[in-house]
Amino acid sequence: MTRSQPALELVDVEKGYQEGGRRHTVLSELNLRLEPGDFIALLGPSGSGKSTLLNLISGIDGPDRGEIRVAGVDLHGLSERDRTLFRRDHVGFVFQFFNLIPTLTVEENLLLPLELAGRTRDEDRERVRGLLGRVGLEDRAGAWPDRLSGGEQQRVAVARSLAHQPSLVLADEPTGNLDQATGTWVLDLLEELVRGSGTTMVMVTHSENAAARADRIYDLNAGRLELREPRTV
Amino acid sequence: MSLQFRAGFRHLLRHPWNLLLPVLGIALGVAVTVAIDLAIQSSREAFRVSSETVAGRATHQIQGGVTGVADSIPALLLRETGVRALAPVVEGWGSHPSEPDRPLRLLGIDPFSEAPFRPYLAGGPGAEVDGTRLLTERGAAFVSRATADRLGVAENEAFTLLVGGGLVELRLLGVLEPEDEWSRRGLRDLIVVDLSEAQAVLGRGGELDRIDLLLDEAVADSVLERIRAVLPPELRVEPAGSRERTMEEMVRAFDLNLTALSLLGLVFGVFLIYNTMTFSVVRRRRHFGTLRALGVTRGGILKSVLGEAAFLGVAGSVVGVLLGILLGRGLVRLVTRTINDLYFVVSVEGLALPPDVLLRGGLLGIFATLLAALPPAWEATSVSAREALARSTVETRVRALIPVAAGIGVGLLGLGGALILLTERSLGAAFTGLFAIIVGAALVVPILTIVLVGVLRPLLRRTVGILGAMAARGVVTALSRTAPAVAALVIAVSVTVGLGVMIQSFRGSVVQWLDVTLQADLYVSAPGGVSARAEGSLPEGLDELARGLPGVVGVSTYRGAEFDSDYGRTRLVGLDLDPRGEDAFDVLERMGGLSDEGLFERFRAGDGALISEPFAFRHDLSAGDTVRFASARGPAAFPVLAVFRDYGAEMGTVMIGRVAWDRGWDDRRITSLGIFLEPGASEGPIEAGLRSGSGSELLEVRSNQELRQLTLEVFDRTFEVTRVLRLLAFLVAFVGVLSALMALQLERSRELGVLRANGMTPGQTWGLVTAQTGLMGLVSGILALPLGLLMAVIMIHVVNRRSFGWTLEMTVSPMLLAQAVGLALAGALLAGVYPSWRMARTSPAEALRDE
Repeated sequence: MTRSQPALELVDVEKGYQEGGRRHTVLSELNLRLEPGDFIALLGPSGSGKSTLLNLISGIDGPDRGEIRVAGVDLHGLSERDRTLFRRDHVGFVFQFFNLIPTLTVEENLLLPLELAGRTRDEDRERVRGLLGRVGLEDRAGAWPDRLSGGEQQRVAVARSLAHQPSLVLADEPTGNLDQATGTWVLDLLEELVRGSGTTMVMVTHSENAAARADRIYDLNAGRLELREPRTV
Repeated sequence: MSLQFRAGFRHLLRHPWNLLLPVLGIALGVAVTVAIDLAIQSSREAFRVSSETVAGRATHQIQGGVTGVADSIPALLLRETGVRALAPVVEGWGSHPSEPDRPLRLLGIDPFSEAPFRPYLAGGPGAEVDGTRLLTERGAAFVSRATADRLGVAENEAFTLLVGGGLVELRLLGVLEPEDEWSRRGLRDLIVVDLSEAQAVLGRGGELDRIDLLLDEAVADSVLERIRAVLPPELRVEPAGSRERTMEEMVRAFDLNLTALSLLGLVFGVFLIYNTMTFSVVRRRRHFGTLRALGVTRGGILKSVLGEAAFLGVAGSVVGVLLGILLGRGLVRLVTRTINDLYFVVSVEGLALPPDVLLRGGLLGIFATLLAALPPAWEATSVSAREALARSTVETRVRALIPVAAGIGVGLLGLGGALILLTERSLGAAFTGLFAIIVGAALVVPILTIVLVGVLRPLLRRTVGILGAMAARGVVTALSRTAPAVAALVIAVSVTVGLGVMIQSFRGSVVQWLDVTLQADLYVSAPGGVSARAEGSLPEGLDELARGLPGVVGVSTYRGAEFDSDYGRTRLVGLDLDPRGEDAFDVLERMGGLSDEGLFERFRAGDGALISEPFAFRHDLSAGDTVRFASARGPAAFPVLAVFRDYGAEMGTVMIGRVAWDRGWDDRRITSLGIFLEPGASEGPIEAGLRSGSGSELLEVRSNQELRQLTLEVFDRTFEVTRVLRLLAFLVAFVGVLSALMALQLERSRELGVLRANGMTPGQTWGLVTAQTGLMGLVSGILALPLGLLMAVIMIHVVNRRSFGWTLEMTVSPMLLAQAVGLALAGALLAGVYPSWRMARTSPAEALRDE
């Protein structure tokens, strides 16, 4: 990827839902451009469309209008299956509720994205072990997720989001379900890993403190994205 | 195994109920179908193997009419046609006193003619014995090694045989040990004796059953023409095996009925799998959402869910096949006994295990499982990460689908109805229609559940309080889980009602028919054979003897014979009807303009026949038509005077007056007598008079009541298989419902945990859970009644009619209906026991923990 090709580009994106007989617009005329390695935070009240935006960026959902390009690829131009495969290879997720697979061990949870992408070489496994070490859970590799604390589960989720070396990480309120101290610790880790690998990250959060870590903060209000001036951070 | 599949399988292992119950359900479903299939195939195979072994290499057979084949015919054929490759045969059935229920085939042969036909009997390849030795000693017999061992008899030892109620002594002269397995199996339960010995033992002097022919294919047609030219008119020449095919044809409807019933078990198994997989998918919506977010395609999810289902299907099917073999061992006895009672004698050594039957059963289980898992698997693929993350519920979608399902259900009900109403004779169409109605009804159940729960809710609110209202609300707010369970319970209970009403109606009709048919006071027949049908013949002059006994006011004589006619296997009866016995005929249809007197006058004069309802149905005959047979004196035609109700013989019966019988055949024998007594006359002295006068202590003399009792016992015996299947089908359904309701309540652990945290006592939790499962049971029971009655109507008036040609009076006992509702309620309440117990023991904190 070169500087001339943005990591993420949103052009005049619009998205709405039909509610009974009325159409409810969630996002309108959204424009955004992120370069590789950028880390941005999205702030906004509940129902402002933050999660919807993440779903659009990941290709889980499609826009009504506009274009979404990830690493130069127009997601809307892909079939549902190709969008899934693209997501598998290029996007990492961190969810508010961790969403670890309860029937896979910690290590297997990390290996899952790699296996889905058909990458099961020894060096991939080595990297997973290294990642577990980086999040401080190398001794819990064989543990079941429900035996971990919330903070530990989110650390596994952070490691999983980066296991297959995506170009883009989408974090949906990654600390929303954690106490402040644990949340801070997890954010430190996430930031360190993302910045260390040069990955682009979009983080949705309610927390001003969490947002403050980002390179830029965007407010999502009434379906529009507004870049916050640096002094207000 | 990939991590994605591993995750799915671990989910199954972590929820043992979700694993064990569907495996058990599908196993029971497969077991019932495999067991029935094995039982049917075993009896069929035993029949085929023994028939083919006994038929040997014969290409054609000359078969007898009413009185068999005269034993002068072989000499005639030899003289007139020059055909030398012919072997006369006399066959009959007996049993060993140690195993009276196990038929032994007595085969009488002419050892000099045997070599080309049955080489194992005549010193040919593989034969250890010389058949001609049978001629040298009276009572000489050959049996196979296996039979000799079973009877515990060594060479040159005497053994006794029970034939027609009398004991016959035979001597084992040699043991048959053919080289090939097929012949060895065919010779099981076979006793070979000389022709004249067999005639003497079976009381069939001068008579053969058939003559086997071995004709060169190249000249067969011209030789057959010559043979037919010299044969008496009533004898038929048929290709070898045609009689066996006719007989197998006769039991086809019986087999189909059993198979259809056994498939019901599998239908319940399918419900169970559908239920479990739906639960499993609903429970893991977030899991699937995460996988989709991580890049698993829809196809990947589909494969994963179907993979789990295939695992359940394979496990259930393997267990089911093994269970089926065990169950088959029991069922084969019941099926064989019914075939012996209703159709023909067959001796089944043990359960045959044809690999194709086992494979078919296994594949059916796996296929049914995958089919049942397809809708939930599809549902799983439609879980988008967005939906799962937004936590929107599946219930909204299910609610939208309910009217659609009801529409499809009504369509299927209509289709099923049309299939039944628009076809007249097809049994396949009747069963397809019935299955369409069952599936259609299952699809209509959810909408009816909503309506019924809406009606019951205020009642529950008033009687049980807030918990009652909550329970009712819980049923309709979780329809994705409750609807399949209620539907399964409705189907299970309705099948119980349908089969119950059918059996009850059938029995009621038979009782009514017996009341009409059994008009005489005493019935006399030759000692019973191995089947429930009257066979053999009475000592000569017994009818005259009976007429002369004091206290006897009238006697009807009955001569019945089964033979192959243009109508296939036919039971023809020559009846000398006492006027007191006229009421025994429940006439369903009579020739136009014929009064009762006129009818029986013509019948006695030999001018017409009475045909039973199944015979009329099978051959599409009505009163006024003509039935034709080849008699010993040429073609005989009888106008059908009337069609009468008869549940005695499934193949149907044609009755002609004794005058007509004597006109057509030179046969004075009598099979049974019906004796009418003076009012108040005692039966004992008459029975004693018959025995002493005839010199036969072995006569079967039964009072009206005894014969009625015996007939009902045979009836109950023939329905034993149906009862067992009904029980098994219900068992599968019960397991299904139990698992569905239990899973539903366990699924609510979190919700119940919230209620417990808010102060609900364990007792109240118990109340809530049982109120809900009880409500579902009650709703199921209520909805099952109309469906069950509809199924009964179809089984009685369509399936029975098309299978056996019988019309039955439908009788519905309120007790049976009450039992059905009670059964549904009890089953549902039982399903609530474990979840209530578990919730009462679990701390709210534990229940509130997110999985």
